[in-house]
Amino acid sequence: MFQKSRHIYPFFFLLALLIGGCTAESNTSEEETEEEMTQRALEIHDRVLTVDTHADTPLRMIQPGFDMAERHDPNETGSKVDYPRMKEGGLDAIFFAAFVAQDIRDDDGNTRAKALCLQMIDSIVASTSKNSDIVGLALNPDDAYALEKDGKRAIYIGIENGYPIGNDISNVELYFEKGVRYITLVHSSNNDLADSATDSDGPEHGGISEFGADVVKEMNRLGIMVDVSHGNDSVFYDAIALSKAPIIASHSNARAVTEHDRNMTDEMLKLMAENGGVVQLTMLATYLRDAPPNPARDSAVAELRANMKPASEMTDEERTALRQAFRELSEKYPDPPATVKHVVDHIDHIVKVAGIDHVGIGCDFDGGGGIQGVFDASEVMNITIELVRRGYTEEQIQKIWGGNIIRVFKDVQAVAEKLQSEGLS
Amino acid sequence: MYKLLCVLILLGQSVPTVTTSYHPLRLSLCEIEYTSGKQLLSINLKLFLTDVNEAIVFDPYSKELAFCQPNEPAKANQMLLEYLNRFFYVKVNGKVVDLKIKHKKLSGEGDNTALWVYFEAQQPRPLTSLEIKNAVFTDLFFDQNNIVYAHVNGKSKSLMLNKKTPAHQLTF
Repeated sequence: MFQKSRHIYPFFFLLALLIGGCTAESNTSEEETEEEMTQRALEIHDRVLTVDTHADTPLRMIQPGFDMAERHDPNETGSKVDYPRMKEGGLDAIFFAAFVAQDIRDDDGNTRAKALCLQMIDSIVASTSKNSDIVGLALNPDDAYALEKDGKRAIYIGIENGYPIGNDISNVELYFEKGVRYITLVHSSNNDLADSATDSDGPEHGGISEFGADVVKEMNRLGIMVDVSHGNDSVFYDAIALSKAPIIASHSNARAVTEHDRNMTDEMLKLMAENGGVVQLTMLATYLRDAPPNPARDSAVAELRANMKPASEMTDEERTALRQAFRELSEKYPDPPATVKHVVDHIDHIVKVAGIDHVGIGCDFDGGGGIQGVFDASEVMNITIELVRRGYTEEQIQKIWGGNIIRVFKDVQAVAEKLQSEGLS
Repeated sequence: MYKLLCVLILLGQSVPTVTTSYHPLRLSLCEIEYTSGKQLLSINLKLFLTDVNEAIVFDPYSKELAFCQPNEPAKANQMLLEYLNRFFYVKVNGKVVDLKIKHKKLSGEGDNTALWVYFEAQQPRPLTSLEIKNAVFTDLFFDQNNIVYAHVNGKSKSLMLNKKTPAHQLTF
C-alpha cells in the first residue's frame, strides 16, 4: 500500500500530543489516550482510499495565473484545493466538476454552454498532464488505486449541471469520451433535463423531463453516474425509477438533521439504499446545521447602522472606515461555526437510516464548501479522526471514504457493459 | 477535535473571520457579448441582491434602494454605478467602456435573490481585445469569486477573477 505524506503526519501527531497535554476528551476509552486515538485515526486515514466526489476547483483553473501545483493559503485566497494540499490532507482522489452556470435555454445558450464546459474539461486535463508527476487523470474505478500505488492523486471529472448537454443527446457521449464520469442533472435553476431544488419559479417538468430521461438512459449505456444533487425531490424519485444503475448524490446531506431542500429525506435515504447508490456528505455550513442566532452581533450591528449617516452622503474615507467597523463587529461576535461534529452527525444519521454502504464524502470545496476543521483539502483527515472518536471501525471508514463510491462506480460500469452487449446482440 | 482546532488556531491555521455572507456561494457572474454584425457590446452582471445592498448601504436586507420596485429612488442607479465603477470595468481595445445601465431585473427569492444589471454600448470597430476587471464584493468577502463569460463573434471564453487576480485581458 502506498504510504501518504509521511512528513505531514508527525506534525499532526505533535498536535495530538499538545491536545493530550491540554485535556482528555470524556468520550475517549480508558485504554486509549487522546493522542493514541488521533494517531490511530491518522494511520487509518493513511491506509484507506479517500475520495472526494465534488469540488468546483476547475473554476480556479480558469483563474489567470492559478497554479494547481502550488500551495495556496485558503485564508488569503479562498482557494480550497490544490495538489500539495490534497497530499497534506491524505486525499487520494477527487472529482473535479466542470460547472457552467445556467443561462438562456436556446440554441445560442446551449452552444455557449457546451463551449464553456469543454474549455473547463480541457483545463482539468491540461492540469493533470502538466502535473503528471504528482496526479493522474482517472477514468475507471480502479484507476484511483493504481494511481495511489504510483504515489499520485487521482483526478476524475464530473459535470455539474446538465445544461451543456443542451438538447443534443450525442453530447453525452462526447463528454464521456472527454473523461466525464458523472453528470449532475441540474443546478440552481431548472434546465431542459430536470427541475432544480432551488428554482424560485418552482418545478417545470415534475422532476426529470422526457429529454432528461433519454439523457439518463444514455448515461446508463455509457457508464456515467447519474447525480441527483441540486435536483428537487421529484428528480430523485424519477432518477431512482429511470436509472438502470445505482445513482449518486455527489454533495447532499440529511434533511432530518438539517432542514434544507438540498438535503435528502429519510424516505429518500432508504430508497437510495435499496437502489444501491450513495449519498456523499458535503461541507456546506448551511446544509450541515441551522445557523444559531447571534443576538449580540445583531444588536451591535443595529446600533452601528442607527448611528451612521446616509450612505449616499459618505465620502470614500468614511465608507472605508465604516466597512472596517462592521468587519470588527463580525470578528468580535462571530457566528458559531459548522464543525466536523456536524458532518459526522449527518453521517451517523445516514448510516442509521440507509446503512454504512450508502454514505460518502463530497466536500464541495471551491463551491462554497469548507467548515471549521475541514476548511480545505489539507484538513480532511479531521473527518476520519471524528469518525474514529465515535467508534467507527477501519472497515466502515474505508467504505465511507471511498469504498462505497467506488462500488457504485463499478456497478454503473457493469450495467453499461451489459446494456452495450445487449445492444450489440 | 475542538481542542485540535484550538491548537490549529494557535498555530495560525485558523479559519479567517469574514463578514457574514447570507448565501453559501460568494460568487457573481458577468457575461459579455459582442457580435461584429450588430456592432453592439452587451454586459450583463448577475449579483446577489444581499451583496449589493451590503456593499452600497451596509445592510443586506435594506429596502432603501428598492431595486426594480416602483419605489426605486432616483439615486439607486447612481449609487450602484458608483460602486461598480470602483470595482468593475471593461476595456475594449484598451479603452474603458462607459457603463450606462440599460435595464435591471430581479430573479430568485430570499437570500438567493439576484440583481441582473444590463449594460449596452455601441462598438463599431473590430473587437480585438477585452480587458475585464471584476473585483465586486472583494471589499466584503476575502473569498469572493467573479466568473466572467465572454462571447465574441462566436468564440466563448471563461475566466474567474477575484481579489488576488482582479483583472485580465482576453484577445480575439
